[in-house]
Amino acid sequence: MEKVLLKNIDNPNSADINEYKRVGGYRSLPKAFEDKPQEITEMVKKSGLRGRGGAGFPVAMKWLFACADTKFPKYLLCNADEGEPGTFKDRPILEKNPHLLIEGMVISGYAIGAQYGYIYLRGEYPGAYHILNRAIAQAYENNLLGDNILGKGIKFHLVVHRGAGAYICGEETALIESLEGNKGQPRMRPPFPVNVGVFAKPTVVNNVETLSNIPLIIEIGGEEYSKIGSPDCPGLKLYCVSGYVEKPGVYELPMGTILRDIIYKHCGGIKDGKNLKAVIPGGITTPVLPPDKIDCPMDFVNMPKHGSMLGSGAVIVMDETVCLVRVCHRTLKFLEHESCGKCTPCREGTGWLRSILERIENGAGVEGDIELLLSVSGNMLGKTFCPLGDGAASVVQNYIKHFRNEFEEHIKNGECKYE
Amino acid sequence: MLSEAAIKELNEIRQKYPDASAALLPALYIAQREFGYLGADAYEAVSNALGVPKAIARGVGTFYAMYKHKPMGRHVVQLCTNVSCMILGAEKLSDFLKNKYGLEPGGTTPDKRFSLVIMECIGACGTAPAMLLNDDFYENLTEKYIEEILEKYK
Amino acid sequence: MITITINNKEIKLEKPVTVLEAARSAGIKIPTLCWHEQLEKYGGCRLCLVEIAKVPRLQTACTLMAADGMVVRTETEQIANVRRGILEFLLINHPLDCPYCDKAGECELQDLVEKYGPAKGRYKEKKRKVPESLEDPVIVRNMGRCIMCTRCVRMCRGLQGAAAIDVISRGGHSHIEPFSGGKYDCEYCGNCISVCPVGATMSRLHRHGYRPWQMVNETETICPYCGVGCTLIVQVRDDMIKRVVPRIGSVVNNGLLCTRGRFGYEFVGSKERLTKPLIRIAPKLSADSYQLTANLFREATWEEAISLVAKKLSEIKEKYGNSAIAGIASPRCTNEDNYIFQKFMRVALGTNNIDSAARTGFAGAQNFIENIFGQGATANIIPGLSNSDLVFVAGGDPTTVNPILGLQIRACSRNGGNILTIGNFKGIEYCSPQKLAPVLYTEDVLLEGIVTALKNKKGLSGANPKLEAKIKDISTSIEDVKNICKIKEKDFNEFLNILSESTNPSIVIGKETTQSNGASYHLLLLSAINYLINGRIYLLSDRANEQGLLDMGCAPDILPGYRPVSYMEFRRRYESIWKSEIPEKQGLTIFEMIDTARNGSLKAMYVMGENPAYNLPDSKSAESVLKNIEFLVVQDIFLTETGRLADVVLPALSWAEKDGTFTNMERRIQRVRKAVNREGMEDWRIISEIAKNMGEKFNYSNVEDIFNEICKASPLHKNLTYEDIEKGEGIYPYKGEPLRDVMEEIRFQFPGSRSQGSDGKLYLRVERPLFHSGTLSRKSSALMKIYPHAVARINDKTANMLALQNGEMVRVSSKKGSMELPVIIDDMVDSSYVMLTNNFEGKGAFSLLAYQIDPVTKAPIIADMEVSIIKGRLKK
Ligand SMILES: Cc1cc2nc3c(=O)[nH]c(=O)nc-3n(C[C@H](O)[C@H](O)[C@H](O)COP(=O)(O)O)c2cc1C
Ligand code: SF4
Ligand code: FES
Repeated sequence: MEKVLLKNIDNPNSADINEYKRVGGYRSLPKAFEDKPQEITEMVKKSGLRGRGGAGFPVAMKWLFACADTKFPKYLLCNADEGEPGTFKDRPILEKNPHLLIEGMVISGYAIGAQYGYIYLRGEYPGAYHILNRAIAQAYENNLLGDNILGKGIKFHLVVHRGAGAYICGEETALIESLEGNKGQPRMRPPFPVNVGVFAKPTVVNNVETLSNIPLIIEIGGEEYSKIGSPDCPGLKLYCVSGYVEKPGVYELPMGTILRDIIYKHCGGIKDGKNLKAVIPGGITTPVLPPDKIDCPMDFVNMPKHGSMLGSGAVIVMDETVCLVRVCHRTLKFLEHESCGKCTPCREGTGWLRSILERIENGAGVEGDIELLLSVSGNMLGKTFCPLGDGAASVVQNYIKHFRNEFEEHIKNGECKYE
Repeated sequence: MLSEAAIKELNEIRQKYPDASAALLPALYIAQREFGYLGADAYEAVSNALGVPKAIARGVGTFYAMYKHKPMGRHVVQLCTNVSCMILGAEKLSDFLKNKYGLEPGGTTPDKRFSLVIMECIGACGTAPAMLLNDDFYENLTEKYIEEILEKYK
Repeated sequence: MITITINNKEIKLEKPVTVLEAARSAGIKIPTLCWHEQLEKYGGCRLCLVEIAKVPRLQTACTLMAADGMVVRTETEQIANVRRGILEFLLINHPLDCPYCDKAGECELQDLVEKYGPAKGRYKEKKRKVPESLEDPVIVRNMGRCIMCTRCVRMCRGLQGAAAIDVISRGGHSHIEPFSGGKYDCEYCGNCISVCPVGATMSRLHRHGYRPWQMVNETETICPYCGVGCTLIVQVRDDMIKRVVPRIGSVVNNGLLCTRGRFGYEFVGSKERLTKPLIRIAPKLSADSYQLTANLFREATWEEAISLVAKKLSEIKEKYGNSAIAGIASPRCTNEDNYIFQKFMRVALGTNNIDSAARTGFAGAQNFIENIFGQGATANIIPGLSNSDLVFVAGGDPTTVNPILGLQIRACSRNGGNILTIGNFKGIEYCSPQKLAPVLYTEDVLLEGIVTALKNKKGLSGANPKLEAKIKDISTSIEDVKNICKIKEKDFNEFLNILSESTNPSIVIGKETTQSNGASYHLLLLSAINYLINGRIYLLSDRANEQGLLDMGCAPDILPGYRPVSYMEFRRRYESIWKSEIPEKQGLTIFEMIDTARNGSLKAMYVMGENPAYNLPDSKSAESVLKNIEFLVVQDIFLTETGRLADVVLPALSWAEKDGTFTNMERRIQRVRKAVNREGMEDWRIISEIAKNMGEKFNYSNVEDIFNEICKASPLHKNLTYEDIEKGEGIYPYKGEPLRDVMEEIRFQFPGSRSQGSDGKLYLRVERPLFHSGTLSRKSSALMKIYPHAVARINDKTANMLALQNGEMVRVSSKKGSMELPVIIDDMVDSSYVMLTNNFEGKGAFSLLAYQIDPVTKAPIIADMEVSIIKGRLKK
């Protein structure tokens, strides 16, 4: 299949507006303006597009909620925080195809009645910051952003806002807090961002990849789009694969591509012909899968049925040389570092879990530690303010569920056998 | 005190938001650039420029990992050690930096040439292990490759 | 109407509330930690998780709004386990130092652990250790004990509006700090201490000094400091005040306190308190020579002192006539004290020569405003400020003079109201006020401009012809405002638009206005603005019972109930009750007393709870007058500057040691209650004893007797009882009749010739700091630690010009004198003036001031005082 989201990215000038236009860019925008905003939302609804940020929330539904709120102005925020470890799928769009995102945002803003957009870009992408700013300037020059876009009386302004190193700011209410100049701590819901979002105004937050799918939907129509990929969860998906595969990288494939195929067909299988030990399918906070559980369609609907989640589509492949206690420990170390500190179970629990895991990995585990890990994570699960803390608890539970023997071995031998 | 150019830049950024306080994160970046790190002076300058109470500015600044709270070396090595990089040997690279250059995580070389910051995922997992040196990505790192790279930064 | 079911109990709700509030209304307790009834919702601690039928996840009761038909369970096995789990998380890094912690016994965490069972000790890892921070003299922080409920931060940023502390860092490293990381640089309201559920933020004053359960005595009383009249709970052990705390639900301050109210109580237990009457044995020295005073007096018995005072006063009265004696009443004393005092002056000494420091601004201003709008014009409810859509502030920073009133202004701003100020006031900076800051001493031109523009915009309604006649004469163009006040037209217009569009405005007037050159004219202009925007006026009052002493008749022209002495009808009324003649002639104001004494016709003064040798402008001159007067009685709790000049010093009981009432600036009468036992006599009792010694019938057995007489005598307070006050009915207009139809022509005086702030000279202005209040606060060690010594505040331009660094010593001189003190560079100060306070011994700003008297308000004009600054000390 021809690449859409990653079209032309091998061209070194792909981020330039003329290159983008040359390969067909900015054609959906005038087309969209011929329709009423409601018609665009309707089209997106028909397309069955779900958010690509991790939660898979139906895009049109979010838009409709924001449209229904009568407060003005409204805001469209692009979530370019891409913080979930293992994830690097938005980066090629941001660095190589920024105009696709801009086009998607202008159309989306038009659909929901938002005249202001912000791209919340993670601080760790300084290159993308400059590329996006250049692209935005070009879009302004070409009257594709501004007060009177293409002379159609449509207004949309776009600003890039740099985050400063906080994973939690990918969570949409924390992102809003951070954009307002506060600590990135999640907000209470309700009210939902679609009603009281950034600057207390109706706000839609969508992921980079989500918004980048909009021009295609306009181009081919909702119905056509819904035929791509899984029937229940259609469309294109960027899968980013890292770890022990022959050809790691970002793959644009139809939603619902089988995980095994991603690893073995597209990525050339396990590196150096070693044996597969475990796969994290959607970023490190999604449940790890053992080798016998990878025949699952990678989409938002099917993955939960197979004991994991699609998350951000960040596939991390681990071969037999990898110590999973260590991976589990590193994951908890990450989540402890990123816990915003607002709620008790996450603030205290992540650190506690991490230190138990650290002991086990260092050979100082004692009998009962596994039960303690399960109990402590159990005390967190379902009690935290936002999904980060829950994620931390479920990570621990899932590693123990599938790889308990590895934990037991560490404790019994008082050492880690992987160097 | 912020330089005149910085104040001008900040005023421009300020215009991009309906509330002055929304310009806090960008303002802290500017202050960090001007002062080298965020200390009391930097926070006070930002507080005065935006009208955000200084205690709040400091609270916000210390929340985010990319703001520095002590002086840094001329070049900042930001090495990712999160899972994808870790399983491909990032931690060994960290040891290498320590042994070869005396660069400890969070530390600075005595000649102030390099500081080392251990990063969470920097979005280069497909080309792990990876690092950012100042604003530039370096990927598929090996010990030898790191040596070559650091050579370029005086 | 919403119905929800909690633990099988049906609860009907009138208005939308959270599940937690619904439960509380039905008496169902759900444990909480981060939740606090005064603060914004947070939902962080997770202790209040409850089960909601049909909802898979547990929900926090403190954030979830009750919905119709909701079925809630708060006490299941699952929930008990959850709570135990959360408590365990809170304890893993907790130092578990309860035996040593001051909070033990009133710690919410301790109570919860007691209820749900202790953690099982499963935590084997290293605890996160954070040492206690003792860098601040007043507040101790122990972050090891902190549970990150952020109540203190929400208090500081929200209700207090100071934003002086915040959570630093994130996740498990989170901790709370002031900006410096150590010492606080804040308003020291201590409201963070009130809301801390554990022992993480505490007062250092009573550190390791007591355990909460050892507190033998708790008394609800009224703060002795300013005219707001906050309710305080005074906690006492061994007859020492150990702590002062607020009470949620109290009428004026609802759970909040300011620094003076919370930390300013130590003067009560000061070792410097007077204990025995003193009689002079050696010639008078200057008031400064404190060290030498030991040899100037001898201790005497009460009998001896009282009979000496009675005898001397009788002799002087006999020899020189009634007008040769004068009395100064006290805004620190109760209504009962002040009532007895004025009765003593009028009945026993036969003179209306009675006045007080209220004359320095409040008295005349109130009189002026009431003469335009009627009695009670300034008796407005303080919490009402927060409901205004606009607060207009002139003449001083309300957040330092009347801090809790200041908080209501901040609340108004938080609620979306506009704040407009004439001048720069640090305490309301965070409200981002719309400001007009005219050049020093040109405020009247700006106010004229505002009146003119408002008049043109809104027209005159005809409701108050007397005032309208004056308004018609006012006409100042925007050009004048621009040129004279140096204000931009755009700013002026913006300000005016906001002002004129307000529908529910309040005006706050401070002492800078009531002591300005042309005070009566300024007040006329502000009254005109108030009239044109249909607002209500708040007159700042820096002493607890300033209003009360006026209502008690402690003024040369008014009788109790704020009735004019000049009206025969009122004199007759009191004559029949007091069974004594009342002189018709108005008495002397406090400034006239000083002048009359200077020219020799005033021979004796009785000063109760006031310090005129320090607290009056041109205090050195007042001092020399008081030194030379034939007979001076000073009744006080400390040997003040004035006391050192006395012939007889009578030690009184302080506010904490007696009962009575205060009337606050809203004219709310509130009970002051004895919290501490101490030997000695209340002010009213001492005076009664003297009166009896002089053959008068002053037979009162307690304050209630006196209060009942007040309410019999004063038409304003008719039939009011202590019981009414207890019920909260002691609020103006009480049950009696306010004064009507006694309004006179509006008289005012234009500012005399004056300097202008733009002339390059330096003028003296008086700082009215949050942390001090005249002579009292300097005996409170906590306040002295926060603001330890006198400073001169200058602007950085002035500092540059004089090549001065922060903290350098300078000599500030006026034609009245000079003093040496360090400078502080303060960006809220203008380059046209230097700011000094009048709070520190030997360094009172008032000693450098000359003054004139506004002929209408009779208040001193404290303006145009040129000063010079030179670097360094005078060589000895
Ligand atoms: C802890 C946490 C981290 C998240 N990080 C990201 C992120 O980095 N990028 C992102 O697009 N969405 C992230 N999300 C999801 C967002 O909250 C939100 O669902 C998304 O931005 C919505 O956009 P979408 O509907 O287009 O997916 C995160 C959510 C959570 C709970
Ligand atoms: S679970 Fe709690 S502490 Fe953790 S990130 Fe979410 S809100 Fe913050
Ligand atoms: S009281 Fe509800 S979460 Fe803390």
